[in-house]
Amino acid sequence: MTETLDRGPGTARRRVLIAALGCAGIIAATAAGSPAAFAATQITGAGSTFDFPFFSKAFYEYSEKHPGITVNYQSIGSGGGIEQITKKTVDFGATDVPMDAKELARAQGTILQLPVTLGGAGIAYNLPGIDKGLHFTRAVVADIYLGKITKWNDPAIAKLNPGKKLPDMAITVVHRSDGSGTTYIFTDFLSHVSPEWKSKVGTGKSVQWPAPSSVGGKGNEGVAGLVKQTPGAIGYVELAYLLENNMSYGVLQNKAGHWVYPSITTVAAAAATKPDISSTNFSIVDSGCAQCYPVSGYSWVVLYKKPADAQRAAIVKPLMSWLVTAAQPIAKTVDYVPLPKNVQETALHVIGEMEK
Amino acid sequence: MPARRRLTGGIWVGASAVCATGVAAVLLLIMAYIAERGIGALSLSYLIHVPRPIGIPGGGVANGIVGSFIIVGIAALMAFPIGIFVGLYLGVYGYGPRAEGLAFVADVLAGVPSIAIGIYAYTVLVEPFRQFSAVSASFAFAVLMLPLVIRATEGAIKVVPRELREAATALGAPDHRVVGKILLAAARPGIVTGLLLALARVTGETAPLLFTAFGSQFWELDPTRPMAELSLQIFNYAISPYSEWHEQAWGGALLLIFAVFFLSLLARLSFLMQKGRGPGRAE
Repeated sequence: MTETLDRGPGTARRRVLIAALGCAGIIAATAAGSPAAFAATQITGAGSTFDFPFFSKAFYEYSEKHPGITVNYQSIGSGGGIEQITKKTVDFGATDVPMDAKELARAQGTILQLPVTLGGAGIAYNLPGIDKGLHFTRAVVADIYLGKITKWNDPAIAKLNPGKKLPDMAITVVHRSDGSGTTYIFTDFLSHVSPEWKSKVGTGKSVQWPAPSSVGGKGNEGVAGLVKQTPGAIGYVELAYLLENNMSYGVLQNKAGHWVYPSITTVAAAAATKPDISSTNFSIVDSGCAQCYPVSGYSWVVLYKKPADAQRAAIVKPLMSWLVTAAQPIAKTVDYVPLPKNVQETALHVIGEMEK
Repeated sequence: MPARRRLTGGIWVGASAVCATGVAAVLLLIMAYIAERGIGALSLSYLIHVPRPIGIPGGGVANGIVGSFIIVGIAALMAFPIGIFVGLYLGVYGYGPRAEGLAFVADVLAGVPSIAIGIYAYTVLVEPFRQFSAVSASFAFAVLMLPLVIRATEGAIKVVPRELREAATALGAPDHRVVGKILLAAARPGIVTGLLLALARVTGETAPLLFTAFGSQFWELDPTRPMAELSLQIFNYAISPYSEWHEQAWGGALLLIFAVFFLSLLARLSFLMQKGRGPGRAE
């Protein structure tokens, strides 16, 4: 008994020491093995989940060209981005819907809002035996989301799709359960094309969905997943998710009467019709041109006109100028829509107001 | 009616066996599924490189692995000493309203959702400094671990046979020696198990990290700056549109499962081994 008593604490101490040395070793090894890049100035940004893939690629390339500058962008959601820029914990925020007057009033200074990339929502569906390319008019989409069309073989859908065998299947309407820029663009579109939607539901990052068969999914990936799992489901999904996940999606009739697929070209065409956008006048849904895809919208970077740290501001200003111009071709490589030339100029003009 | 009793007994044993198998099967299924999806992503390059954007091959989660170690490590440094001392207090002098109040506080703390603790850490350590940091995540993790450490220590102390303590006191050992050399030594297996389980509990927590550690695509060893963390990387990759990143998310999930499995196994083994040797065993 005495022997074990003596040995117990002794071995414990030794073991703790070994464990501590081990931990120190691991940390020292990683410190030695990592590149000496952390003396660099790190710009931080936070916000829109939608922007993340584009930003991560663009900022990666920026760091390659400008050693010594790294940009750490984290996707915490558009609402989070607005919150963090308001509290000044980041150098810039990103949001799919610009900050409104109330949000701007809470900020600790004048906020600049510049468009940085474009998105579009496609109408995805899951119908056994039917591929991509089901035809929808704007009114049919609105009626489905209003709950007035409840079956896939409804005459209103069948009329648009002669030759397709539409099943006698109930429509499950899928929407976003979280507040989202994609929802904003989609409900903005529905409000433009359906007076009933405008008066009953309206436009917003989250709304009261009127269709009785509505189910919510978190994030674009949640909606895409629900549509993929549920035969008879319909949902609005961001372009990059549509293209990357091999989903079936519809072709939509636009205001000019043409049938258009959501694509990099058709979303950009919608944007190009209205170069003079601002953070208070930014809607490009249901645009008039022949090629225009009607469910399109911008994503925005928000930052202070006069940042507290002049040294960081001197880095952020050229970075943002680069992002809205030279970086735009990068968007295509990750299925994002580059800003049209005329919108790039609008964005540059906004950045010009920034004070160093 | 022995036949009937046997039947009843058989039914209950059978039901228990089915449930037990069910629990084990769920675990095995989860592990097998994650292993199947994740094994493809695991490679040396995945383990030693930092993340890269879509379309640029060779990205990894090395900074996330190191970040997890640093964040959890600092959290352990904060939570273990305090937790063990509070647990000791409760275990040794754990009677009366003050101790009961303390135990109640620990229990309530254990029930607070991790996201709420994350927001608290954000409010006290991120917002005032206008900087996301690894240490704020460690603080949140420490708060999460604290009740586990306290209760495990208290429990381990309380099961030390009373005679052992009395014998030591009878031999003239002062209080601090009784606690330090007898109680702590005897309770060590239980305490170590509690510590390892507390580590396993926070490894894989994501919610509190969003507003504290923030995440990073870069190497970061300075705990006062935003830092990558494995479960945060898994989260970001999983919600992306790209199958390339989905695969990396599965790989990360597999690593995390390994880590937690390893910690739990270590907890089990250390308990069994030390218990076989320690002075707590009645001889």
